[in-house]
Amino acid sequence: MNGAGREGMRTSLTISALVHAAVLAWSVLAFVAKPYRAESTESMPVDIISVSDFSKMTLGARNGARTEKPNPLAEKVAERRPTDDPTAKVVETKETKSSTDTPAPEPKPKPPANAEKKPPEPKRDLIAEALKKDDAKKPEPKKTEAKTPTPPKKPVQQQPQFDPRKVEALLDKRDPQRLAATGDALRDTVSLGASNGTAAQLSQSELDALRARLAQLWNPPAGASNPEELVVQVRIKLSPDGRLAAPPMVLTSGTSPLFQAARDSAVRAVFRGQPFDMLKPEHYEQWKDVEITFDPRDLVRG
Amino acid sequence: MIKRSSTSPPNLSRRGVLALGAAVGAGALAGLSPRPAAAVVKLDVTQGNVQPLPIALPDFIGSGLPDPGLGRSVTQIIASNLQRSGLFAPIDQAAYIERISNFDTAPRFPDWRQINAQALVTGRLARQQDGRLWAQFHLWDVFAGQRLDGQQYFTPPDNWRRIAHIISDAIYERLTGEKGYFDSRIVFIDESGPKDRRVKRLALMDQDGANVRYLTRGDDLVLTPRFSPSTQDITYMSYSQGLPRVFLLNIETGQREIVGNFPGMTFAPRFSPDGQRVVMSLQQAGNSNLFVMDLRSKATTRLTDTAAIDTSPSYAPDGARICFESDRGGRQQIYVMGANGGAPQRISFGDGTYSTPVWSPRGDYIAFTKQYQGRFAIGIMKPDGSGERILTEGFHNEGPTFSPNGRVIMFFRDPGSNSGPQLYTVDVTGRNEQRIPTPSYASDPAWSPLLP
Repeated sequence: MNGAGREGMRTSLTISALVHAAVLAWSVLAFVAKPYRAESTESMPVDIISVSDFSKMTLGARNGARTEKPNPLAEKVAERRPTDDPTAKVVETKETKSSTDTPAPEPKPKPPANAEKKPPEPKRDLIAEALKKDDAKKPEPKKTEAKTPTPPKKPVQQQPQFDPRKVEALLDKRDPQRLAATGDALRDTVSLGASNGTAAQLSQSELDALRARLAQLWNPPAGASNPEELVVQVRIKLSPDGRLAAPPMVLTSGTSPLFQAARDSAVRAVFRGQPFDMLKPEHYEQWKDVEITFDPRDLVRG
Repeated sequence: MIKRSSTSPPNLSRRGVLALGAAVGAGALAGLSPRPAAAVVKLDVTQGNVQPLPIALPDFIGSGLPDPGLGRSVTQIIASNLQRSGLFAPIDQAAYIERISNFDTAPRFPDWRQINAQALVTGRLARQQDGRLWAQFHLWDVFAGQRLDGQQYFTPPDNWRRIAHIISDAIYERLTGEKGYFDSRIVFIDESGPKDRRVKRLALMDQDGANVRYLTRGDDLVLTPRFSPSTQDITYMSYSQGLPRVFLLNIETGQREIVGNFPGMTFAPRFSPDGQRVVMSLQQAGNSNLFVMDLRSKATTRLTDTAAIDTSPSYAPDGARICFESDRGGRQQIYVMGANGGAPQRISFGDGTYSTPVWSPRGDYIAFTKQYQGRFAIGIMKPDGSGERILTEGFHNEGPTFSPNGRVIMFFRDPGSNSGPQLYTVDVTGRNEQRIPTPSYASDPAWSPLLP
């Protein structure tokens, strides 16, 4: 290597080092803050707890408040209902035997096929119930079997084996409810029926509830031939009580009558949704500025 | 010694290198993207709740009118138009909180929000010095608290029904974004008398069933009236002494002329979108072919020449293509062909037979009658044959015709036995089937374009 190479090496080494340093400095310092994007995903609450915690939780619930349950359709009032006290198991066994005779003849003269009211149960109990052999539920399957017009078979023998309540508990696919209040207690906001037919779902966050409210109130023009024209972006500024602080700003522009109708329907949905009380005041800084994109392309079949 | 001459490296001094490095670094730092100011929550709403729009329609205020009930009559026509379209839900006047007494001031929006009205229409009718009627209306967005639209019209007082239809169209367009169809007429065959000796007369009425007038006397059998899409002309077929003739009738002037003597014609011809030509099917020796005739010069041009039965042609709204029914493939199916002839392309492929195709004025659908296993259905499909949908089914539904905005289809249904056919409308989404009241039995409807 000749002398010219040595000087050149130093020069190029310096340049190379400087450029590397510049690139590294740029990559370290240049980060883009992405706007907070609320995706419309359907998520489920998942809690990971130990088995002992779970037993404690469920145990606590059974002894706790026996709140009113949403009553299923009851077309007649059930006459006799043994107490749902699962802790007193031994006592229940005796009751089972004695109550064999009385409920059996009773349903016979009554017209069959009445929706028998199942004993109201907390939803949380289904899993606990599946875990425990619950003898208190035995009169219930007896009643259901006695409902049929066929002479009620003495179901006493079948009781230990067949418990429809347990089957129902296993089949029930409801979300496990959280019983332990965590630091940020979830609000139980149910979204109203959406036009895509999915059943009412618990909203997992305030933004989902806001989206559900807007979807319920938004009445887009239907049957349009160019659905792409109907996408409307609206930006709203909210005051802490959940009302609009200023008229909504429509960010998309268009001149066609169809776009005007779509824009009006989006703005109307925003106005009608006030007050947005599903947004919590302590998070005001996060939701005071919302940009909503109303996109009817899934809805409109031209 | 061999002198190696190599290109000397760029003559950079240490200072130059440092300057270059600093420049590169500064450039890199300058290329940093600026951070956005604050986080905006972005939300996507992709589901909606398509419902008829609740709209409040208080009576129009009348001033100086010879008929004090005119305001109420106009309002009722508008309300029934909007309700019949299936896209609006007029709110019962008994529920209104505010009484509109002054047309020029803004309404009290909180009162209207309370009854869940999303739109409000206020109007005034006044009589001018020269006897004309001055009609005005405002369309308000209740929740946004703004005026969406407002118009005024001057018209001879007899035209008050048309004013109501025109105002209905303006409201419909502003709130749905589509052109209205209320200011239009229907021509149909009015049938009366016993079933074996029906008297058929050509009749014309407003699209809501009002203002029926008869255009022929009933001496001759009349069939299949058609409206021109651009002029106020009707063609229809008349059998006089067993001889079928096609007549061209101008509604405004009442002038009638014979388009031609076509011995083999079964359907009346259909107009081209510019109203200058008609396309028709002529029967010769057991097969039927399509012909185009220019109305001024009466020159006819043959479009198809096959041994099959090609009939019931209809123009596309751009006049470049026609759709027609042909049994060249065995059973009757729908074909699309260039307006000047050419190779037809079959677009219907389902079970059953397809007949009476009609192209929508919007160009996006072709409506047809389909027969399958003894049942008749009215359906629509896209002009390329995809997206076939049945809108209504029953015994003997036939003869679809589109409204001027392509959203509503009118057809007739003949329940058979001792009664007669009636006119029905259905939305292109298949909802909102309604019967149109006519003085007697009615068949073969044809919808006019919007009146000029």
